[in-house]
Amino acid sequence: MSWQAVARKEFRDAIRSRWLHGSTLFFALFLGGAAALFFGVLIGPEGRQVSNLFGFFANLGVFSFSFPGLLALVLGFIALSTSYGSITGERETGSIKLLLSLPNSRLDAVVGKFLGRSAVVVAALLVGFLLAFVVLVATGTQLQLGSFVPQVALTALLGMAFVSIGLGISALAGSNREATLATMGLYLVFAVLWGSISEGIPKLINYAAGEVGAGGVSELTRVKLGVFLKYLNPLKAYETLAAELYYGAARARLVSATFGEQAALGPVLQDSVPVYFSGEFLLLVLLAWIGVPIVVGYWAFERADL
Amino acid sequence: MAAIELDGVTKRFEDVIAVSDLSLTVEEGEVFGFLGPNGAGKSTTINVLLDFVRPTAGTVTVLDHDAREESVAVRERTGVLPEGFDVYDRLTGRAHVEFAVDSKEVDADPDAVLERVGLGDAADRKAGGYSKGMRQRLALAMALVGDPDLLILDEPSSGLDPAGAKEMREIVLSEADRGTTVFFSSHILEQVEAVCDRVGILREGELVAVDSIDGLRAASDADATLRITVGAAVGDELLATLRELDGVSSVDHDGDDGLRVGCDSDAKTTVVTTLEDNGVPVDDFSTREASLEDLFLAYTEDSVSAAESFDDGASADEDATTEGTEVPR
Repeated sequence: MSWQAVARKEFRDAIRSRWLHGSTLFFALFLGGAAALFFGVLIGPEGRQVSNLFGFFANLGVFSFSFPGLLALVLGFIALSTSYGSITGERETGSIKLLLSLPNSRLDAVVGKFLGRSAVVVAALLVGFLLAFVVLVATGTQLQLGSFVPQVALTALLGMAFVSIGLGISALAGSNREATLATMGLYLVFAVLWGSISEGIPKLINYAAGEVGAGGVSELTRVKLGVFLKYLNPLKAYETLAAELYYGAARARLVSATFGEQAALGPVLQDSVPVYFSGEFLLLVLLAWIGVPIVVGYWAFERADL
Repeated sequence: MAAIELDGVTKRFEDVIAVSDLSLTVEEGEVFGFLGPNGAGKSTTINVLLDFVRPTAGTVTVLDHDAREESVAVRERTGVLPEGFDVYDRLTGRAHVEFAVDSKEVDADPDAVLERVGLGDAADRKAGGYSKGMRQRLALAMALVGDPDLLILDEPSSGLDPAGAKEMREIVLSEADRGTTVFFSSHILEQVEAVCDRVGILREGELVAVDSIDGLRAASDADATLRITVGAAVGDELLATLRELDGVSSVDHDGDDGLRVGCDSDAKTTVVTTLEDNGVPVDDFSTREASLEDLFLAYTEDSVSAAESFDDGASADEDATTEGTEVPR
């Protein structure tokens, strides 16, 4: 197996790119800067704890905002940008012929690219978190390491998921242009449209059921199905898992829920969190977003003529 | 033993047949030149050997491995200089060779290899700043890492100046001396003649000839051309008589006092005697042996576009031998 050789090449190549330097600087300013603003300026010395920022959730019932959610949006964008051209780009310039004339299998190429580009994204991310950590220590903030450290790991997983998605697109696309358009479209779906689609599907089912004279599903089932679909979005799965680290499972399911969802789910969550809403399930969703796109991408790339 | 074995290979791209029912064997230790105009299917054939593209039909065996199923095993022992490749702009020359060393899992000194292809001084520069010729050398360096048993070179001298092409030729020959099988495609005939044991000529996806250069010359009907300087006008009747002679393929006027005769060597004397018998004094004549270009055109002449696209390569070909011969009395 020579995926190590490919991964090393990818890393050495990407680490010299201005894009990476830019995103590293961005993470440093974003995470370090936000920490400095919150703990250095906004919050008094007594109340300073990590959850003020890294577990910041505000929910207006119809609209919600969270710091982990914002971080996820930015990271998703940067990770996709790092990987969506990784195969189409090499095919268009022809450097893929150098890569594959060496004894690297196409699996080596896909795995090596995934690991190399993931390492680049995670490295940029870690620089940001490290700087934030320095600020936390310097401002005497209560560290909550039991939540903060797993959050860093979760964030790295989210970055890898989007590297994988970008790589999958790159393997499936016929050209850089196609890959760019598909990436932009998919990002729009993840970042903006997923919620509406998730709420829309159960409503559509009920509407269709009503049309044919069937009863449709109950209000509670409809909400559950909607939320379940929302959790399939890696951004949402990450945001919810991050909330769980600070506030526990039940509260985390409601931090960004709409009023309707809160009303319907509140009583259910009081008893216990159903398996299909559990932290384990959400983690599985996140891991699936890492695994499935590269498997699909490899499947397509393996069959393609260069 | 065979280094490369193609059996009934066909490759169809949507509506184009790039290679059609190609069967070819290249023996171990051989230097094989793969010749043909642009678009004849040379690169497609090479891409099939490397599993870059998959044949529609037929089997391909390289170094005793199935080129499709065991491609990595093939490439472990094969050095490749691909066509239409590009380098990684941000990586230095040395990083490229290190990538080859890593991928092949061999213990080799990148600087020594770079030195060998004449890039020793540029090893620390980013390959994005390399000229076309330097990129070509860099890919050759990557191919040479680990002393491969087979070298596959697709248009190796493209982008190289004459000195670079000569160095490339010398490297190919020294590899061949080491026992390496070399398979390379080219449309630069001079280069093929200089290094190849055998050549195959590909036309529109079909192999039209496989032989040594001498063998091709003997077998081809690309005859010698005879230029005759005559002392009197040659009438149409006489021209017709000449054209009917055995072994004569064409007779044309060449200026006021000349004739251009296409014929095989045995017919030369007959042509001259016939002229003199008909009262036309022969002042001088010269023969021009069939050059590789003529050979090539003879094999590909059905295809006008092929001949045209060949012109750029043919200009480098100056091996037509012109010899003045005394008039036999």
